[in-house]
Amino acid sequence: MQPIIEIKNLSKVFGSGDGKVAALQDVSVAVQPGEIFGIIGLSGAGKSTLVRCINLLELPTEGQVLFHGQDLTGLKDKELRMQRRKISMIFQSFNLLDQRTSLDNICFPLELAGVSRKDARKRAMELLEIVGLPDKANSYPVQLSGGQKQRIAIARALASDPEVLLCDEATSALDPTTTDSILKLLQKINRERGITVIIITHQMSVIEQICHRVAILDAGQVAEIGEVESVFSNPRSAAGRRLVSPEMALPFTEEDGPIARIAFNGNASEEPIIASLALDLGIKVSIMGADTRNIDGKAFGTMLISLPTDSEQKQKVMQYLKSHPGVTAEEVQ
Amino acid sequence: MFDLFSDPVKVAQQMEIIFSEYGFAIWETMYALVLEVIFAYVVGLPLGVLLVTGEKEGIRPMPGWMMKTLNIVINLLRSVPFLILMIIVLPLSKIIVGTKVGTPATIPPMVIAAFPLVARMVESSLREVNHGVIEASQSMGASTWQIVTKVLLPEALPSLISGGTITVGTILGYGAMAGIIGGGGLGKMAINYGYYNFKYLVMWAAVIGLIILVQIFQSVGTKLAQASDKRLRNRN
Repeated sequence: MQPIIEIKNLSKVFGSGDGKVAALQDVSVAVQPGEIFGIIGLSGAGKSTLVRCINLLELPTEGQVLFHGQDLTGLKDKELRMQRRKISMIFQSFNLLDQRTSLDNICFPLELAGVSRKDARKRAMELLEIVGLPDKANSYPVQLSGGQKQRIAIARALASDPEVLLCDEATSALDPTTTDSILKLLQKINRERGITVIIITHQMSVIEQICHRVAILDAGQVAEIGEVESVFSNPRSAAGRRLVSPEMALPFTEEDGPIARIAFNGNASEEPIIASLALDLGIKVSIMGADTRNIDGKAFGTMLISLPTDSEQKQKVMQYLKSHPGVTAEEVQ
Repeated sequence: MFDLFSDPVKVAQQMEIIFSEYGFAIWETMYALVLEVIFAYVVGLPLGVLLVTGEKEGIRPMPGWMMKTLNIVINLLRSVPFLILMIIVLPLSKIIVGTKVGTPATIPPMVIAAFPLVARMVESSLREVNHGVIEASQSMGASTWQIVTKVLLPEALPSLISGGTITVGTILGYGAMAGIIGGGGLGKMAINYGYYNFKYLVMWAAVIGLIILVQIFQSVGTKLAQASDKRLRNRN
């Protein structure tokens, strides 16, 4: 399938001369139509710059951004503006027009596109229903809560009937309950309208909850990219491991001895593997850290255990762990 | 200057001037003010917009030399004392309105003195608009013109009104000075009839008229600015 959005060898450099900062280096990402694609990274990893390069709010220094195979970077101003209507965006700070009511905010993109006022209002009312705020039509943004503002922003983003919805830290300013409801709304929009959603976030929980695939961005580069399940249950990059189990990534010292990282995929997380390891091999290991996550209804766990210092015993433990289906184990120290 | 009521004959004489001239003076002040404010905004508003949109990081960057020249010209006009500017510009009045005396003659120098102020007022108002909102409009495919007319100006409206109120007050003050070169109105009444002719009662009456006008404009402006600001809570 042709990707709906394809970022090809994209680099972005800010400043010039000695003050040069490379925000993105040779980033390539392909997003398939209809998926919810997550881009996660710590602050400063270049996530926001990347998402702004997709609709060219930020001009890439090098590389291409293809929308349905068409390079957006080569477009004239007017053509770009037309394409932007098909790629909507929502923001962390909502960015509603303060001097307009909710309804008029939602009408705004339609107004830009030259839709008549009557039709625009009708469509805006429908969208207010979709986001669950029909009674807030005449409220001004100041009278709305953060979650309500984001709902209005989503309705506004949907007004132009976009094919892609870019979410730039859209839930970062919201409390967990509100975040949850906004994510459910995004999921609903994705399922019911087939809109491709690209989510930029630093919150693992956001990716876990609704994304199909994820790219991990680290220092302006893609560290890894893949299905959320496989990336989270078994991150291959250092940045991935840092994100998946941040509290476990505390630096262990040499004195802690060899350490293994175990990941349980799906059903395996219900097995008492550490207990059976002790019983079957007669080797006791101590748990240095553990974490379980719920991804798409399945439990995924990661655990750090300290291995025996004796290399023969260590080998036995590793073999034992690896022989279990649904479990991956690797020595990390 | 403060011994106003000691001589009944003089008082009667001055009261007569006040009664016969006051209404017309207010009319002249008002009509000059309205024209000056309109023309100052016709020139100053687009320039203020240009100062914001045309800068390097603006939504429609203009050549650097152009922005620099614009800034220098505005600063230059802002720094020349109004009285001097008025005298320098008077020959221009002859060309534009056909006369160097009277109220119409004062309008071109007033506009030239006021539009740089308006441009700066507009500039600072537009800079208050949240950049995120501009970015959001760009992401929706808004053109530069649409961003200016549908985002920048409406979002900055309360601040623009406040700026407008200050501008009106300042132009009213300039107008009083224009009395010196024969511009009509309360200013002329205060200076020509009052101060120069030792008719201090007339002078004070005109000054009080100006004070009341400024008070009215200021409170109306403040009310309008508040009423237009949808960011204020406790409304509706």
